[in-house]
Amino acid sequence: MVFKLYGVAFSTCTKRVAIVLHEKNVPFEFHPIDFAAGEHKSPEFLKHQPFGQVPYIEDDGLVLYESRAICRYIAEKYAGQGTPLIPTELKAKAIFEQATSVEKDNFDALASKAVYEKVFKPMYGLTPNQETFDELIGNLDKRLDVYDQILSKQKYVAGEEITLADLFHIPYGAMLAAAGSNILDTKPNVARWWKDITSRSSWIAVEDGVKSTG
Amino acid sequence: MVFKLYGASLSTCTKRVAIVLHEKNVPFEFHPIDFATGQHKSPEYLKYQPFGQVPYIDDDGFILYESRAICRYIAEKYAGQGTALIPTELKAKAIFEQAASVEKDNFDALAAKAIFEKVFKPKHGLTPNQELVDELLGNLDKRLDVYNQILSKQKYVAGEEVTLADLFHIPYGALLPAAGSNLLDTKPNVARWWKDITSRPSWIAVRDGVNSTA
Ligand SMILES: N[C@@H](CCC(=O)N[C@@H](CS)C(=O)NCC(=O)O)C(=O)O
Ligand SMILES: N[C@@H](CCC(=O)N[C@@H](CS)C(=O)NCC(=O)O)C(=O)O
Repeated sequence: MVFKLYGVAFSTCTKRVAIVLHEKNVPFEFHPIDFAAGEHKSPEFLKHQPFGQVPYIEDDGLVLYESRAICRYIAEKYAGQGTPLIPTELKAKAIFEQATSVEKDNFDALASKAVYEKVFKPMYGLTPNQETFDELIGNLDKRLDVYDQILSKQKYVAGEEITLADLFHIPYGAMLAAAGSNILDTKPNVARWWKDITSRSSWIAVEDGVKSTG
Repeated sequence: MVFKLYGASLSTCTKRVAIVLHEKNVPFEFHPIDFATGQHKSPEYLKYQPFGQVPYIDDDGFILYESRAICRYIAEKYAGQGTALIPTELKAKAIFEQAASVEKDNFDALAAKAIFEKVFKPKHGLTPNQELVDELLGNLDKRLDVYNQILSKQKYVAGEEVTLADLFHIPYGALLPAAGSNLLDTKPNVARWWKDITSRPSWIAVRDGVNSTA
């Protein structure tokens, strides 16, 4: 049975999963969820994703939600094909876990809120709070200074090889420019890393919208 | 060489790691970091934890930060002793990762902020933003309704066995009453689960402060 991804073509969390499907050469069927009609809050949808969010997957009888958990599942199930994305040696794996945790707390927590203020709020007819945005970007700037230091010593956030921890940054990172911040382009090592990971064919395949490949 | 934990005895993130050390019967030396003097922002400290936060560990020269990453490292390194805390079968592991991701996005993101407003801000002489607290706790209430549904069908958040995904909730969950919220006591299945995980000797050993066991 073909791998099924349920989500929204332009949503960041759906793209996160699609990047990894491309990296691992896993053909998939994309099933769009109609946000406008509130399909993600319907009783039928909530049977699969009880928190009412996208994405979720169906694979071989397994229904799974939470984009980062889905990415890990794909990387492990298809460990033998495409790009290896999770180290297996104990300490290398620990450093990978450190980097994924940093992505969540020091990047995503700030970047997703900044993007929400300046990009999503206007889409819903709400007024962005400039002060909130500036505070988030100011905080993110400090965290990315630390990234710049780390990336001056290694190619990727978890070492010399690309991992899920790098890829997780892409969907929100790519929206920072639309939110009015060039923070990923102004620090030399961060800029080099950002250019590297966003030049990958996996991102190019999904950046303008997720489509079936199966 | 004995396992060394650097942190603040009463800090939630330090306790998260200490719970897991107790669950896995790993003796450790606790090295307190002096928040009051800003030790966690000193150049010496930043060599180990470049973001200037606690905790970090030194395990025989291996330095690791990010509390959840440290917990995973301990659970994997000591897989053969104490409580098994990460499933190994592909699909069970995927469900564990789903639950761990839910903890971060649907629990921690809200609970930690509410506690920051109501508990930590007053300690630093700042005024809590009550409107924000109400919004965060209102949102948490809805997410915990979903937890209550999930926990009506299974004993723990990732299935029938306790995992790291359950334990990760404890340090901030335990501070919710101090933030004026009884959300963990009012939903029957959540309340049953909360009582179960907070009755474990691992939590009882660290809840009043982290101490060396080696
Ligand atoms: N932690 C979840 C977050 C999912 C999420 O926030 N999805 C957004 C789209 S990117 C959504 O469905 N928003 C609608 C809503 O929350 O009502 C994941 O990584 O899958
Ligand atoms: N994601 C980090 C967060 C660490 C964190 O926020 N630590 C707090 C104490 S619980 C801290 O050091 N705060 C001081 C600061 O951020 O300046 C982890 O889980 O280890």
